[in-house]
Amino acid sequence: MKKYDLIIIGAGPGGSMAAKTAAEKGLKTIFFERSRKPGEKNSSGCGLGPRMFRDFPEMMKELTPDKCPSMRAGTASRNYFVNNDDIVSGYIMARPTESVSYEPAKSWITMNVYRSEFDPWIAKFATDAGAELKTSTLIVDLLKEDGKICGVIDEKGEKYRAPIVIGADGVISTVAQKSGLRNKWAQNQVTLTLQYDFQAPSDKIDDIMGDETLAVWWGSNFPASYQVFFNDGFHQGLGNWMNWWDKNPLYYLNRVINLKYYQRLLKILDAKPRELQSHLLPWLDYPFNTHTDGVILIGDAGGFPCPLEAEGIYPAMVTGKIAAEVASEAVTSGDVSKATLKRFDEEWQNTSIGKEFEAGCELWNIWKALPFSPKETMSWFVPMIMEILGGIFDWSQPHALRVRQIISHIKSYMPKATPFIMTYVFPLIAKVFEDDLDKLMDPKKIMKVLPKLLDMLPQKKKKRGG
Amino acid sequence: MKIELEGLTNRVPGTGDFITIDYAKCNNCECCLIICVMNLWRKKEGKIYIVDDYQSKCLECAACFQVCAADAINFNYPIGGTGIVIEKG
Repeated sequence: MKKYDLIIIGAGPGGSMAAKTAAEKGLKTIFFERSRKPGEKNSSGCGLGPRMFRDFPEMMKELTPDKCPSMRAGTASRNYFVNNDDIVSGYIMARPTESVSYEPAKSWITMNVYRSEFDPWIAKFATDAGAELKTSTLIVDLLKEDGKICGVIDEKGEKYRAPIVIGADGVISTVAQKSGLRNKWAQNQVTLTLQYDFQAPSDKIDDIMGDETLAVWWGSNFPASYQVFFNDGFHQGLGNWMNWWDKNPLYYLNRVINLKYYQRLLKILDAKPRELQSHLLPWLDYPFNTHTDGVILIGDAGGFPCPLEAEGIYPAMVTGKIAAEVASEAVTSGDVSKATLKRFDEEWQNTSIGKEFEAGCELWNIWKALPFSPKETMSWFVPMIMEILGGIFDWSQPHALRVRQIISHIKSYMPKATPFIMTYVFPLIAKVFEDDLDKLMDPKKIMKVLPKLLDMLPQKKKKRGG
Repeated sequence: MKIELEGLTNRVPGTGDFITIDYAKCNNCECCLIICVMNLWRKKEGKIYIVDDYQSKCLECAACFQVCAADAINFNYPIGGTGIVIEKG
């Protein structure tokens, strides 16, 4: 039986970061990957956020197109608004704003990479630091002695011994299951996300999309659908909670693909479908059961993706690094009990990830109510937004009359918009500003005041001098 | 535009049998039939089953396992080094 100081299951960005950190601390470390090379089983989770470049600058400065040819940084994002008849009725393009405080966030919003290139690149940092990577190896169970976890067993029955096991094995985590931390998620804690990858010539993407690298398609006939551009292709995907689907998820993704506007985009981009991928993605309001005696869960296995837009790589790297640091101290001290490993929670709660989850519940709620509730919310949200954005640029009537028409029409959305704002937006504002907005959030009061406010807007212009 | 799914996945054969159903637990809720992107779960004469050639079509997302409230579906990953290969994920 081979003996190690630390065993890590999974060689994604989280597992590799944990392996690198542990090896640098002098721990005899092994990390396992079930596929032939890291990144071969991963889909989505393809966006590198600017915080990675801020927090891991020495590593990230080495990420160059010769090592990762798919990489494409994009300054701008676009939101398409699709009306109830599946027509794109408007869009907003946005770049990083003046309040963004550091580079590279000022220059781009996301750096997109294919995981088949990125994951091997990051795993090499771990092997260079001295960690042993074992690929094509499926871990099927945890090794236990006197009820205590003391290693892992692979599919061939080979045993590997270590005082601590880090579960970096993704959303359906064998480590979580075998350690008793979690058999499966609740249906509203995980989403099914599917996507097509389209091949498109790099120069076409440059010419047509410019420096836009991310788009979200909002509509009432499908959950919000993301589009992510790489050097020579793009993803189009969407997701929703497990218990949301009423028919094959592909039906909804194909609704996006079959939009006339989208078909035109495929045509001018000279895009061809290249791959179909489906995966599960944890989407929690707060991570829980992240550790027990001799076990720590990180990244997707621990439920760490961002509760708003599900950024996964950065939280995996942050939690991977912390888990290895906590494990290193625990191994050195000889105490790997749950009580000691609790420090893992205390540490990540102090990071940017912890700050994100402070408003996790409110972010989770608003995400569930907005992009994941197309029929209930987007059916009025899109026409209302477009009434505001598009209504002004219209010369069908004198402009003052148009403004009154627009206001009057927006009023008709209030019975749906007001409860939405009360239920989802105000609690988020209250959390963000750590303020007590109880008075403002009293629904009765708002419902009483709002129509009056709208009535105060002039219905008809008084005659001059009259 | 109808996207043909044929040819949109790459894989290494030899996965072994990695999905099974326990009929003692299955309550015929049909959630697996809805959630499977590749439409690999079917129902015949009141009995739910996974198609014979699922090993060469499954995307390994484990949605059927996760959605099964009755815990009737067992999902173990394919043998190491086999199964789906995602090149552009």
